[in-house]
Amino acid sequence: MSASTDSAIVKLENVHLSFGQTQVLKGIDLTINKGDAVSIIGPSGSGKSTILRCINALVTPQSGKITVAGTRVDQLTKESERIQLRKRVGIVFQQYNLFPHLTVLDNIVLAPTRILGADKTATVKLARELLEKVRLSEKADAYPGQLSGGQQQRVAIARALAMKPELVLFDEVTSALDPETVGEVLWVIRDLIRDGMTSILVTHEMRFAEEISDTVVFTENGKIVDYGPPQQIFHSTDNPRIRQFVGGLSGGGRGAVRDGEGI
Amino acid sequence: MQDMNLTGLFIDMMGRLGLNYEFLATGYEAQIWRDGFITTLYLVAVTIPVSLIVGLIFAACLTSGRLWLSAPVRAFVELTRNTPTLVQLMFSFLVLNTVVSNMLGGAQNNPLSPFFWVVAVVGLHVAALHAEAIRGGIEAVPSSMIEAARGMGFSQFEILRYVQIPLAFRSSLPAIVNGLISLVKSTTVGNAIAVSEITYASIMVWTQRDNVVEMMIVLLAFFSLINFVVARIGQWVERRLAIPGYGL
Ligand SMILES: Nc1ncnc2c1ncn2[C@@H]1O[C@H](COP(=O)(O)OP(=O)(O)O)[C@@H](O)[C@H]1O
Ligand SMILES: [Mg+2]
Repeated sequence: MSASTDSAIVKLENVHLSFGQTQVLKGIDLTINKGDAVSIIGPSGSGKSTILRCINALVTPQSGKITVAGTRVDQLTKESERIQLRKRVGIVFQQYNLFPHLTVLDNIVLAPTRILGADKTATVKLARELLEKVRLSEKADAYPGQLSGGQQQRVAIARALAMKPELVLFDEVTSALDPETVGEVLWVIRDLIRDGMTSILVTHEMRFAEEISDTVVFTENGKIVDYGPPQQIFHSTDNPRIRQFVGGLSGGGRGAVRDGEGI
Repeated sequence: MQDMNLTGLFIDMMGRLGLNYEFLATGYEAQIWRDGFITTLYLVAVTIPVSLIVGLIFAACLTSGRLWLSAPVRAFVELTRNTPTLVQLMFSFLVLNTVVSNMLGGAQNNPLSPFFWVVAVVGLHVAALHAEAIRGGIEAVPSSMIEAARGMGFSQFEILRYVQIPLAFRSSLPAIVNGLISLVKSTTVGNAIAVSEITYASIMVWTQRDNVVEMMIVLLAFFSLINFVVARIGQWVERRLAIPGYGL
């Protein structure tokens, strides 16, 4: 989130978005540099998922500038242009959304071969390497329904990486998981970030966000309330809302805040 | 000669049971009857793929979210579901076929045969049934899975092709097999416009030979057999496509 724009891979400027009468984003400004890991935290309904969807051109804001890897996303008018962008920006969701009728390997190979037109043999090789990376080599021929949530989510990450994206968006990818499988997914993401993949994570895993992020962004009610290095957001912020939110999630008040968010 | 002897033996044995299959020894009626079987099998073999392909296209139109695609198909589906196939066939053959003939400057230039009209009418009728079943399956695919595919850069058509149809086809397979069984039975409407399928041929024989019961036994056995095979193939496909660990 430095001021220099030349190394910026994502830049949102004064982005406003509403669904019907509901204003969801009320002037978002965000700059993310290549190779950075940025965590977005904040209460449920504050617009975190919508920010990711804007970056991936899944939704189009009413106003503001969005630049992603050199493309002015807000100016794309044709669906085919948005599709071109989505191929370059990976996104992984809370519900892993693997294709249930395909094996793990075919889930990974489908989009690169059918959508990008990549060579089949090379893609299968890449898929096997990625499965090794997410530590699921032995599950290549299994079907998603035969895997645990954590395993499915790791396949979903491998599936996104097989598109060789320039950045990856993670939308609460551990929120639907059993507590004992959260760790194995975070492990994979940590590896990815260490390898230098530009990553934007919406997460409720505060300790993980603190550990891996270059920048933490706090959103509330459609606005970015504050951002900065993890140390600042988690430990030395003056903002009482952030203190309450962060304290609530990582400390004893967890239950109360979760209830308050309607989780 | 061997064949004649076997036929003779069969006629003789049936005769002892009080069943009259003597027409089998004649050249002409036996030929019509045999051709009837072949025509019915041919009708079934052509109409099944027509119904499946058109059913898929209809389902794609119905779920496209584009009114100019979905509205005409919806109108056609309602019309064909709610009116008798026999009436549709007569309308097609007597009205549409005549229109085509007139446009081409006479019946002699019209390449469309009664056989064609049976395939078209029965095929489209059953396609409408398939379409409703497949549409249900397409709409049952969770929106989060569709968004995930969009997020990877799938177009709407690619989502349909690689995600929705494979899942919808599996979930609608039992309904599709029911549709195909009704298709097999519906091919008999062809006799109304003189397509010499098996019921038409059987009627030709029994009006000459007065052996309705004998012909009926064979007719019922024949259709039961075809539909038994259709149902077994359906079960086989269902097993082949079953997804391990997935509740379909
Ligand atoms: N497709 C949509 N249609 C209407 N409202 C939506 C849609 N998507 C999100 N919203 C609303 O936008 C607000 C922000 O949603 P979201 O970005 O998902 O928040 P978060 O991810 O922070 O929980 C919520 O109030 C939500 O109900
Ligand atoms: Mg969200």
